[in-house]
Amino acid sequence: MKTYKLMKEDFPQFLSLLQEKGNLYGPVKSKNHYSFEKIDDLSKLTFDYTRTLMGLKKFVTPPKYKVKHFDKSGSEDVIPEDETNIVIGAHPCDIHAMKILDKLFLGQIKDPYYKKRRENLVIVGHSCLPDENCLCTSTGTDMVSDGFDLFLTELQDFYLVWVGSSKGLFIIMSSEDLFNDKIEMCDIAEYTSWQENRQNSFKTTIPFHLMPDIVHLIYEEDELWDQFGEKCLSCGTCSLVCPTCNCFNVEDKILIHADEVVRERMLDSCTLPYYSVVAGDHDFRPDRTKRLKLYYTHKLKEYIGKWGQPACVGCGRCVTYCPVGINVKTVSNAFYEAIQCVREVKKI
Amino acid sequence: MWTSEHKPIVGVFGFSGCAGDQLRLIHMEDELVSLFTTAEIKFFHMAQSHQEVEHVDIALVEGSINTKKQLEELKEIREKSTFLVALGTCACFGGIQYLNEKDEAFEERFRHVYGSNIKKKEFIVGEAIPPQPLCNFVKVDAMVPGCPIEKDNLLPIYTKLIKGIRPQKYPAPVCVECKLEGNDCLLLHGIPCIGPVVSAGCGAICPSHNLPCVGCWGPYEAANYKSMIDKLEEIGVDKETALRKIKLFGGSKAEEELEKVIK
Ligand code: SF4
Ligand code: SF4
Ligand code: SF4
Ligand code: SF4
Repeated sequence: MKTYKLMKEDFPQFLSLLQEKGNLYGPVKSKNHYSFEKIDDLSKLTFDYTRTLMGLKKFVTPPKYKVKHFDKSGSEDVIPEDETNIVIGAHPCDIHAMKILDKLFLGQIKDPYYKKRRENLVIVGHSCLPDENCLCTSTGTDMVSDGFDLFLTELQDFYLVWVGSSKGLFIIMSSEDLFNDKIEMCDIAEYTSWQENRQNSFKTTIPFHLMPDIVHLIYEEDELWDQFGEKCLSCGTCSLVCPTCNCFNVEDKILIHADEVVRERMLDSCTLPYYSVVAGDHDFRPDRTKRLKLYYTHKLKEYIGKWGQPACVGCGRCVTYCPVGINVKTVSNAFYEAIQCVREVKKI
Repeated sequence: MWTSEHKPIVGVFGFSGCAGDQLRLIHMEDELVSLFTTAEIKFFHMAQSHQEVEHVDIALVEGSINTKKQLEELKEIREKSTFLVALGTCACFGGIQYLNEKDEAFEERFRHVYGSNIKKKEFIVGEAIPPQPLCNFVKVDAMVPGCPIEKDNLLPIYTKLIKGIRPQKYPAPVCVECKLEGNDCLLLHGIPCIGPVVSAGCGAICPSHNLPCVGCWGPYEAANYKSMIDKLEEIGVDKETALRKIKLFGGSKAEEELEKVIK
């Protein structure tokens, strides 16, 4: 991996360079939170933030999009145009989440809509400092070594720029005078000290490595799940904001003007009431507890069997945004504590 | 359903409400011509002067039932129609006029408004009864809530119906649209939003403007009222106010559910 130094005074020039190469998106403050938005005015950009409401998934599986158009002569896929969308400011957990989505959508079966949007996307990551809701040291996603095109670690006077792809390298090469590939020992010392300081600022850990087995073994312990099922509002927030949740619903919309149909995909959530209704109207998960069981066993256990790792990157969005405090942290801790109680009583 | 050999026959009927849903149909200017050419509109109180109705394939019915005469008419519409759609929050859940229905003081309120001399029978619209949603009297095949309805919610259902396809229901709360609109949550900032117990469809207009949802699209089918009330109490709303908020547009559906959770 090639690494460069970019001086802070050259950063605005770097941003302008990115703007020349494509549509630039980055974190901006929007009402009470942060969001990746299109950047026309560079002064709106802010890197002093912890998490956006929606992660990178909005670039590759947007909340609502057309996939097909039918008329009397046949059907046509609606594939997005070629364009370059550069998103700057993604944190390591966001990039890990994107890698998980890539496995799913670009595995054996390649989703053409995702594929195009992904090819159009350039990811410029940015270093971050955690708040109390960040769980990425527990999920092992606090550092990232691939999945991005460029990654910027912000230090005192300069950025350390890590190159993760040929697309990233081309950006650097197109304006070489901005970048310096001589990294001095004192730069390395500064980086190491920053990294250690960051590691020490994580406040929250969860027994994540045990969770796959725990959610599996505890599946039938209804009273443990019910404490969450009773509180859950079935509001969909947790999965809509989770950067790895990707379920979509498909709807065919018949246009009233003509004999035409538009097929749309829209983000869905397994916490919604009719999510598990199948043909014949049977509902596998009519109650909230059953739906939460699906969410957590799928995220923490079942995903591993299929895709080699759990589908939680510890970004803390569910922790921040569930209005009633049901999230990876509270669920993991509640189950773990219940087991600890038994251990204490039985002296195991 | 019906065969596609003839154009489906549609009737638009209105009971007690603000007539906003019928008006909304007429205001669908881009689709209006198609609306009248893709189906045979046999009855449309607000839009046509000549009215006749023997049978309709699709009945779009607005408003709640507030008089005995309306009730008879509703039953007649049900008998004469194949597929009945409740249009708007009043038809679906009872609307704001349902409020306080359960306090059994209907007679008293009636006299307060109309005076004690008047007999309920004397109204030309028929004898007044406590307001109710359509589904409390007849089978409703689909609900399109809204105050008033949004064309983006009605059209996908309507265009399926006129092609003889049964629409699928997939209820969601306002929170889903709120997230898709890119808002975080007002509840997290101590603002008493009742979006989690309210039907989606408006596009989360109020939270998107930093205003709490007051529930005008009526109850969400999977609403968890107990948890909603607990959350409102947690952010400092007293229980009575919380209940009043939920009941404002909650109609008979919310009333029934609240009875189960509040002892
Ligand atoms: S489950 Fe929660 S912490 Fe994990 S990736 Fe999803 S939103 Fe982030
Ligand atoms: S965000 Fe919380 S309340 Fe909403 S569906 Fe998820 S767990 Fe339930
Ligand atoms: S602001 Fe209201 S509608 Fe939006 S997520 Fe929060 S509770 Fe739901
Ligand atoms: S009150 Fe609620 S349902 Fe009504 S328009 Fe506002 S957000 Fe939508």
